[in-house]
Amino acid sequence: MNTNLKISNVTKIYPGCVANDNISLEFISGKIYALLGENGAGKSTLVKILSGVIIPDEGKIYLNENNLKLNSPLDAKKNDIGMVFQHFNLFETLSVFENLIIDSDEQRESVREKIDAIMKKYNFSIDLDIPVLNLSAGQKQKVEIIRCLIRSPKVLIMDEPTSVLTEQETSELFLSLKKFSDEGILIIYITHKLKEVMQLCDEVAVMRRGKLVSVSEIKNENIESLANKMVGQNLKTIKKKKAKTSSDQLIKITNLNFTSEDPFETNLMDINFSVNRGECLGIAGISGNGQSELFQVLSGEIISEKNSIEFNNNYIGDLSPQERREYLMAFSPEDRLEQAAIPQMKIFENVALNNFKSSNFFNNGLINENKIKEHSKKIISDFNVNTDNVELKSQFLSGGNLQKLIIGRELITSPDLLICFNPTWGLDVGAINYIHETLIKINEQNKSIILISTDTDELLKLSDKISVIHKGKLSKIMNSEEVTSEKLGILMGGAN
Amino acid sequence: MIIDINFIGLIIASIMASAVPLILASCGELITERSGVLNLGVEGMMIIGAISGFALMTVTGSLIIAIFGAMLAGVLISTIFAFLTQTLITNHVATGLALTIFGIGISAMIGKNFVGIPGKEFPVLFEGLKDTIPLLGPILFGHSIVFYFAFALPFITSYFLKKTKIGLIVRAVGDSPESASNQGINVRLVRYACILYGGAMSGLAGAYLSMIYTPQWIENMTGGRGWIALALVVFSTWNPIKILIGAMIFGGLTIIQFHMQAIGVRIPVQFLTALPYIVTIIVLVVISRDSRKIRLSTPSSLGKSFHKDN
Repeated sequence: MNTNLKISNVTKIYPGCVANDNISLEFISGKIYALLGENGAGKSTLVKILSGVIIPDEGKIYLNENNLKLNSPLDAKKNDIGMVFQHFNLFETLSVFENLIIDSDEQRESVREKIDAIMKKYNFSIDLDIPVLNLSAGQKQKVEIIRCLIRSPKVLIMDEPTSVLTEQETSELFLSLKKFSDEGILIIYITHKLKEVMQLCDEVAVMRRGKLVSVSEIKNENIESLANKMVGQNLKTIKKKKAKTSSDQLIKITNLNFTSEDPFETNLMDINFSVNRGECLGIAGISGNGQSELFQVLSGEIISEKNSIEFNNNYIGDLSPQERREYLMAFSPEDRLEQAAIPQMKIFENVALNNFKSSNFFNNGLINENKIKEHSKKIISDFNVNTDNVELKSQFLSGGNLQKLIIGRELITSPDLLICFNPTWGLDVGAINYIHETLIKINEQNKSIILISTDTDELLKLSDKISVIHKGKLSKIMNSEEVTSEKLGILMGGAN
Repeated sequence: MIIDINFIGLIIASIMASAVPLILASCGELITERSGVLNLGVEGMMIIGAISGFALMTVTGSLIIAIFGAMLAGVLISTIFAFLTQTLITNHVATGLALTIFGIGISAMIGKNFVGIPGKEFPVLFEGLKDTIPLLGPILFGHSIVFYFAFALPFITSYFLKKTKIGLIVRAVGDSPESASNQGINVRLVRYACILYGGAMSGLAGAYLSMIYTPQWIENMTGGRGWIALALVVFSTWNPIKILIGAMIFGGLTIIQFHMQAIGVRIPVQFLTALPYIVTIIVLVVISRDSRKIRLSTPSSLGKSFHKDN
């Protein structure tokens, strides 16, 4: 029997924002549906409503003509709706098996048999008795999928499932999803990646700013048409002009090692590379392979041997981030709200944070608020941050605006080298474009960038040279013209 | 000098007796913390249990009413904590500290009328078997029911957490309340239950002090044992069996340093009194050094408020 899921006039309003504005959609099993939209378009709200996590203000959900009351995740489960969340809903310190049985009422042994059968059928292989935190992201996702499959769901919702996967893992996932669909499970696939929609889905619904913009069949669409629907305007494509590479070396890393005391961090082994002026070195890799450790070593959050980092002919391996800034390095860490800015502090206070030594900002230990505010206003206008209030707390800026502010704060001192880590993570297309343009401009001004990123497309677009980090080791450094995303994917998986 | 082997047995038994309140309170707090709630009010809940037990025993004359009344008192005072931290989302640390101050104050007030009243004798089990086996006899037999319960509790707690479904849910809530909530687990309900259970165990620990260990009421008679119980939970890395070890070391050194003071060992008294605290923590730190295991057994959400948003 076909499964028919109907969303009828669903509305959800948050203070200051309509997350879902009168959405109506219908899904029938046998097809794979894409729900496409930028961050903040309301896709996640909609699927959280379907999975009972969020209760809508208005509207109804029907499954096979039955009106569902989804007041809690339990209700969704009881009605055979399974959901794999973008941020995994797993218990890291519990074993895989414990994670799988937590919501089941059956005997442990019979669940274990069921899990074994599922793993055999779909060719998954996961050790059930190790803690989840030892699994790779791809394996964690499989655990989430198994958790849904145990209940033999009629509907399976996948929320941005590939954001943490390698190319190979992604194609494995797609194969599994197609199998599920053939077996009669209705698949709803949420994403903002256009390529994946074209590759996997049969029908696509596009959302923008809480509204449903269009529903259409994939065969009538292409990447450009979907992109325009998603963003609501024609996008310009950014391309970097490959500059003539200079031979003027700016930073050189020699035999850099880092051994962590925390067993859940990655050790860095024998890192060697150099970056010339005007060059962008991209470092690719699946997250958790030593990127954050590498960033910390480069920024000085972790101190290393003095001679291991040579910058502008100075040995700076043992200097703190503040001291490295004086040598004209700048940093944009991965986590905007935890590492780059202090969310509870105002914009101008955050601007002052990376510039303690400036005599403009501080006089005899007192804060010169006017100067800092003036400076902040300059950043805001130069870098297109969408606010004019420098007294606003940083937490109220959107991700894109906060990232612009952070990059602006770093760049306004015109550093020789900017080290950034996943600078466009979780941003919408418009903001990504802006950041990319800014980074290209830096290179054009003969300044250098080290770009650590898990987004392969971004790296191929911006880098002059690319290396891949895997388990704390760097691959050889390649010219970006010679590299394809397939080749990067293979290196990211650990092959040579 | 001939040392009577039964005398050694008696010393060991007294060490075990002094460990009982620590084990009870720690195992209760362990469950609370495993669900992600940091309740620093153990000392306060213990002293409330102590005065409630003693007062009920004096007024009603019934030991059973007194023991269960003390546990109920612990539950009631921890309900205040649960309501504040889980329903009104207050800060765990500040609320717990307030609870301790409140407990000490109110117990002193109620206890005014009970100072100097002699306690009752608490019945012991297997008294007759005490002399049948040398050394082991005094260790194993002739103790109160609470004593036996306390020494079974770490094993029960360990089994509960590892093998039962509810134990699994408690650990899951402590690991990630957000995920648990998305899985349809009622996080607030689980945490309420764990807090109340911790209160009951602290109440029982207090009653043991005022009704069995030293059967009388003295103001502030818990004397910091609640804080030691808290430290035991952390330094044992949330492992009930290590709590048992830690409590025994602490109890043992407390008793031994008394004896050392009595026979006049030339070590400053202050050092001797501090010894149990120092050694217990050192030993627990040493046996819990595996950082992998620490990560696996530390409740990731400990002390963080969880607020379900809709």
